[in-house]
Amino acid sequence: MHPIELSQKAANTLGITWDDGHQSSYQVRGLRLQCKCAACVDEWTRKVLIKEEQIPLDIRPKKIEPVGRYALSIAWSDGHSSGIYTFDHLRSLCECEACRKT
Amino acid sequence: MFFKKAKPLSTDSVAHALSHVSAPGTDKGLISLGYIKNLQVSGTKVRFDLAVPNINERDRDALVEACRAAVKKVEGVEFIHISPVAATEAPKPSPAPGGQGRISLPNIRNLIAVASGKGGVGKSTAAISLSLALVAEGKRVGLLDADIYGPSLPTLIGINQRPPQTESGRILPIIKEGLKLMSMGFMIPEGQPVVWRGPMVHGALTQFLTQVDWGELDYLIVDMPPGTGDAQLTMSQTAPLSGAIIVTTPQELSLIDARKGLKMFESVQVPILGIIENMSGFVAPDGQVHNIFKTGGGKKLAEESGTPLLGVIPLDPLIAEGGDSGKSVLLTHPDATVSKIYRQMAKDLIKKASPQGAFKPVSLEWQ
Repeated sequence: MHPIELSQKAANTLGITWDDGHQSSYQVRGLRLQCKCAACVDEWTRKVLIKEEQIPLDIRPKKIEPVGRYALSIAWSDGHSSGIYTFDHLRSLCECEACRKT
Repeated sequence: MFFKKAKPLSTDSVAHALSHVSAPGTDKGLISLGYIKNLQVSGTKVRFDLAVPNINERDRDALVEACRAAVKKVEGVEFIHISPVAATEAPKPSPAPGGQGRISLPNIRNLIAVASGKGGVGKSTAAISLSLALVAEGKRVGLLDADIYGPSLPTLIGINQRPPQTESGRILPIIKEGLKLMSMGFMIPEGQPVVWRGPMVHGALTQFLTQVDWGELDYLIVDMPPGTGDAQLTMSQTAPLSGAIIVTTPQELSLIDARKGLKMFESVQVPILGIIENMSGFVAPDGQVHNIFKTGGGKKLAEESGTPLLGVIPLDPLIAEGGDSGKSVLLTHPDATVSKIYRQMAKDLIKKASPQGAFKPVSLEWQ
């Protein structure tokens, strides 16, 4: 599964259209908090190292780029850019009604 | 002289003088190679930086003297200041993760990694044999040896020469038997080890992909080093891989590692094009088959991972002979069983491999 289109649906909302036709939308700050990079989540203990209050309320992506065939990287307005969001992870975070129920 | 008013010194005349000084080991001028930086001329003074990559102290000092002598001859020069500085490789590849270092290779239709978790299973031999078989099918093929620490291509193909560089600094691949070739082994003297940390491997690989003039290719086969480390990450994160081929020997020990290699590519969604079981049985002169490393491991891996078994290659002294002499068995014995198997594999691969267009990367700039 992979995205076929990315869109900015609102100032703080990212839209992804998937190759199976599914449409996802995400609050961008929620994505920032889900970052799984080594600076945000401890590699060994899996302990989350970032605190929600540290992330600006008005955080925005600056640039979203592909990583190989399996992920996206997001460069954020707070300067953080080391996170890799796999397609599977992104799909599991989908905020639509149907996905939240399952 | 005393009465004649000196012509005002120009940057051009100094640059012209320096263009006749060539870099050590080449016949190319320092100016055209871009080794002279920040050239400033004011009055009778000339200043510039000399940035020559990979130069030893003695050569560098000799070069400074050669530059000084050349500039001295220019009318009106009285003061020369040359600063040797560290050469920075241009353009700098960005550090690994994050899509920032993404490479696009529009002229390469299929980028295929030949990999295995384990070393010594015959990856390089398989990669070169498959490449030659693709050439025999009339395809335009390149072969990149991505094993920075232990390049095998120079030996297998019988070449150890430095690839030529264009004026703009692009590297021309070595062409042999219709194959375009690049290997770290071409860039360093024979027998000299490469002692690098991981990020350097990433840099070298991205340069091999982007700064080598591959031209239009139907296939670029990448002979991966063993393991699931830096080189594998670079290839799967920054390069538009069309697929991977996993090489294994039949016994369980090799399968364990091959399985990891396969899983690694699956986890980054690189399609597995198939599995090659190498060193599968030895056919003795009396016709008896000896399964030295057991048999059926490749089939087992293919079945459990739901990927096709591309080919089963027997042990044949002709293969090792070809490898050591730099002349592949496909060229010396085109009718040998192994040669036929590889040609069939190439035919199957051509039917299978899809152009990169099947997967389109997406990106977005936030407004």
